[in-house]
Amino acid sequence: MTATPEIGLELPQRFATYPNSFGRFDEMFASPLNPRSHWSMLFGELTKTSAGNIRERQLSAERQLRESGVTYNVYADPKGIDRPWELDVLPLIIAPSEWREIESGIIQRATLFNRILADLYGDQSLLKSSVIPASLIFGQSGFVPAAHGMAVPGGIHLHVYAADLARSPDGHWWVMADRTQSPSGAGYALENRLVVSRTFPSLFRDLRVQHLAQFFATLRNSLMHFAPKGDGPTLTVLLTPGPYNETYFEHTLLSRYLGFPLVEGGDLTVRSGKVWLKTLGGLKRVHAILRRQDDGYCDPLELRTDSALGVAGMTECARRGSVLLANAIGSGLLESDALLGFLPRLCEQLMGEPLRLPSIATWWCGEEAALTDALNHVERVVFKSADPAYSFAPIFGQDLDEAKLAKLKARLSARPERFVAQEMVRVSQAPVLGHSGSEHISAQGIGLRVFAVFSPSGYVVMPGGLTRVASSTDMRVLAMQRGGSSKDTWVLSDRPVDSSFTLLRNTVTSTDLVRSRAGVPSRIAENLFWLGRYQERCDDEARLLREALIQRLQEGEDDDNATTPLLALAKAFGIIDEEEDPYAALLSAATLENKANGLPANLRSLERIAFTLRDRMSLDYLRTLNGLIKNPAFGRAASLSKTLNWLDYTVTNMTTLSGFSLDAMTRDDGWRFLSIGRRLERLDFQCMALQIAIDRAPDTGLSWLLRLSDSIVTYQSRYLAQPEWLPVLDLLVLDGANPRSIVFQAKGITGYALKMKEQYGPFGFESFADAVRSLENITPLDLHPENQSLRETIDRLRTEAFALNDHLTQHFFNHAHSSAQATIGI
Amino acid sequence: MAEQVTYRVSHETRYDYSRPVLTSHQLAHLAPRQTAWQRLRTHQVKIDPEPRDCSAGKDYFGNSVLSFALDMSHETLTVLAESIVEVDSQVLNQTEASVNWEVAASRPLTGTTDLEVELYRTCSPMVPFLEEARLYAKPSFQPMRPWLDAMIELTRRIRSDFVYDPKATTVTTRVEDVLKNRRGVCQDFAHLMISCLRSLGMPARYVSGYVLNLAPAGATPLVGADASHAWVAGHCPGLGWVAFDPTNGKLANLEFVTLGWGREFSDVTPLRGVVLGSAAQALTVAVRVESL
Repeated sequence: MTATPEIGLELPQRFATYPNSFGRFDEMFASPLNPRSHWSMLFGELTKTSAGNIRERQLSAERQLRESGVTYNVYADPKGIDRPWELDVLPLIIAPSEWREIESGIIQRATLFNRILADLYGDQSLLKSSVIPASLIFGQSGFVPAAHGMAVPGGIHLHVYAADLARSPDGHWWVMADRTQSPSGAGYALENRLVVSRTFPSLFRDLRVQHLAQFFATLRNSLMHFAPKGDGPTLTVLLTPGPYNETYFEHTLLSRYLGFPLVEGGDLTVRSGKVWLKTLGGLKRVHAILRRQDDGYCDPLELRTDSALGVAGMTECARRGSVLLANAIGSGLLESDALLGFLPRLCEQLMGEPLRLPSIATWWCGEEAALTDALNHVERVVFKSADPAYSFAPIFGQDLDEAKLAKLKARLSARPERFVAQEMVRVSQAPVLGHSGSEHISAQGIGLRVFAVFSPSGYVVMPGGLTRVASSTDMRVLAMQRGGSSKDTWVLSDRPVDSSFTLLRNTVTSTDLVRSRAGVPSRIAENLFWLGRYQERCDDEARLLREALIQRLQEGEDDDNATTPLLALAKAFGIIDEEEDPYAALLSAATLENKANGLPANLRSLERIAFTLRDRMSLDYLRTLNGLIKNPAFGRAASLSKTLNWLDYTVTNMTTLSGFSLDAMTRDDGWRFLSIGRRLERLDFQCMALQIAIDRAPDTGLSWLLRLSDSIVTYQSRYLAQPEWLPVLDLLVLDGANPRSIVFQAKGITGYALKMKEQYGPFGFESFADAVRSLENITPLDLHPENQSLRETIDRLRTEAFALNDHLTQHFFNHAHSSAQATIGI
Repeated sequence: MAEQVTYRVSHETRYDYSRPVLTSHQLAHLAPRQTAWQRLRTHQVKIDPEPRDCSAGKDYFGNSVLSFALDMSHETLTVLAESIVEVDSQVLNQTEASVNWEVAASRPLTGTTDLEVELYRTCSPMVPFLEEARLYAKPSFQPMRPWLDAMIELTRRIRSDFVYDPKATTVTTRVEDVLKNRRGVCQDFAHLMISCLRSLGMPARYVSGYVLNLAPAGATPLVGADASHAWVAGHCPGLGWVAFDPTNGKLANLEFVTLGWGREFSDVTPLRGVVLGSAAQALTVAVRVESL
């Protein structure tokens, strides 16, 4: 299809299914097919461009999102833990004058909320004078007594704030909900912007859309500004609950964009009333924490004692003011809808002015008059939980039959304080592209999340936001968790826009220094180390299983006598028990997940570790690993030939994974730990194989050992003869050019260890170094199976490799991996 | 009975860990509170191994808190708190003792809200409003009945309806289950009684402390002696806060040493901690209370 210049021809068709707004506000059209002035350029673009072209842009946007790995995790979601982020490329456009009203309303509201928090966690005069009912606050799970009287830096409880806005049929914006604890979405708004500005580049420029970068710079600089100082350069970290959190992608994005190291509770520790980051180079003082962990989970000592997440003692640090928390502990209190009805009066009292951006009419049922009112207008309201910690799906009065209504009334009269009644809003609609394949432009209900941050000159609002699109199933519910989509939000400017400012450029230069100055967190180093070990272990195991099963296939046909040593090696590897039928054990180790030490179990461990590192791993690495785990052969018993195919496939893919860690990672300390892990694991495996081969000499041939060690090709190209002990041992022990030889591993480990010793001081590496020296004393004369010093050297290297693993753990990882436990003494 | 008694209290908590603990953060509510009827003469806490970082302060409920941290490897932790406390006998105002319970159950409509009272009228994490608890308490709270009478009756009913059984519950047992199984320890009975009172609209707080084994020879000793104890204080306009011990079915008076109070156990846990390194721990608690 080609572009049609005559609007009249295609236009009605393109918008044929565009829904009449039926009592809703339509963002784009003032009347059918008559766009509002600030939408006319986009409307023009839509009519000038062919449907195929628009669709192509949407697909390209989706591809970009997939490629940058943008996800939104939803627990128990059929699309799995990594659901792609959904974006409709048509932006929501907001005119400059309209935005000024929203902006001033948000500033006022954030200022008001900060004052309310300061009062509720301070004098509590609002409660004493009954402006807010004491029972409302004391009954909220969001009220944190331990947060009372904290010396919050600069008197700021609320550093970051977000409000969910919706537009009613008369065109006014209302606040549907407030986010005061750790608002999410700003990072997704940024990602949407990066994609959509590329989708409509000229429109974006011509419309003078305001840029977002300055907002993030303000966030970064303000946290630095208000943070307490001392013990080295000011360090701000982003505290995440971890990769299983639904917005983890956003945490990684913001961490990179703002230059704040991404940490989990286990990375931080409290000493002398201050918070510190555990790094390879020792403890680094943390001055500010942008937290994405909820109030209750910040400190297992003082807050939720049933959770071992968080940082023990952090509350005390916050109380002393030695660390800035954005937002302060306890700020989640204001997320309760029960407070909304009290805001107009609070605003008059605390700010001396009327509330500019009102909340949707909300009644806390804990007040008798409000309850009666709500019950009299059941069909016009929606009932929600008054306490975010006990939330339930909203109950729409209009949906209730008599029986359900009676049940609701009984619940309401029993515990009225647990409910709020909220007026139902017919939210506005905005244009969306039809589902892929459709040429039509349709419309859906939308809501807008806007963000503010406190700066030295007061609150600053992000000129834009995250537009959320209702899922087509229920236009009344706006929730990403329920399968909604999102949009970029274009706030237009009536002045020229300065587009030169971008944080992206800064992050590659100056902010990078911030990251390296903070050092690699110990937990990351430990996970990388184990990633290296498990990657190698899976590779070794797949080769071993393949070799042992092929042997079984060829039994009696070769004169290698390889069965005995291979089964011995499989036993040493922990795959075969004494009582088991060896053949069955090998088959199940290759395919079955519940087989201890089996290949699938080890691949799972590898996957788990890779997942905890997913902000450091390339997407291709994760994809390749995922391909192995999702392979039909994984976890299913299969015939010998199918099993061998699966093992071939695994070996090939493990080689690909090693390639990623070789080629796609920066040579920093983290990479060195990964490499040491791999080499230690391979050293152990090769030593083990050699020990067994030597033990079984001279009854065994040596081809199996060469194949297992991936060295058969080298051998054959060099010697063109049946394997013999001297050249085989030379290749596998002393040949520094063979990446499978023992000396290759030992020297590699020595190289990395020396580098680390140089940087961090001694860590118990000396006895391993001694063992390596005795390996270097081995001469070709020692290379036969009966030689005692060869045997001793191999034994010793294995022992020292174990010891080195312990030294690394003790010295660098400390107790990063052991989990905290709560104790209670009565 | 004497007007005033002086007590010496020692409370030793010992943890034996299965593996060395590398870091430990602890929070102690072990200093008896100064009140109108109780004075703290001496108080000291000995901690072994000696902590690196130790600081004392007050919590939101007005109790003394000691927080300390250890960051050297250790396999046992001992915390010994020793105090000398004077306790006065509390005399109830006879003219106010006949105030109806409905007065205690209604919020004053005018004047400044007394947050010290309202804080304890709403539910808290471990003590929810509970219809079953309300129904259990209701027979004692007949219309117009004097608050004090009704409270004493409820206290005694809990004592006789419930079996003291340290094996039946843990520190996280829910009030619903205590009510269903009719078994528990002082903490459970205190939580149950608080839930009863709050569900009827009355303020109630959880009191942590010790009870002296004052029983004369031959008599049954009070339950909860030789351990830390817990009971309940209810509030009635005019009378103020009055303490009841549902475990022993009586008013808590001269034999009781108050450590502190909160909405529930978790606000005044004697010793609470987070340790890193150990797999399991064995806890031994020894309490001795003697009158001087």
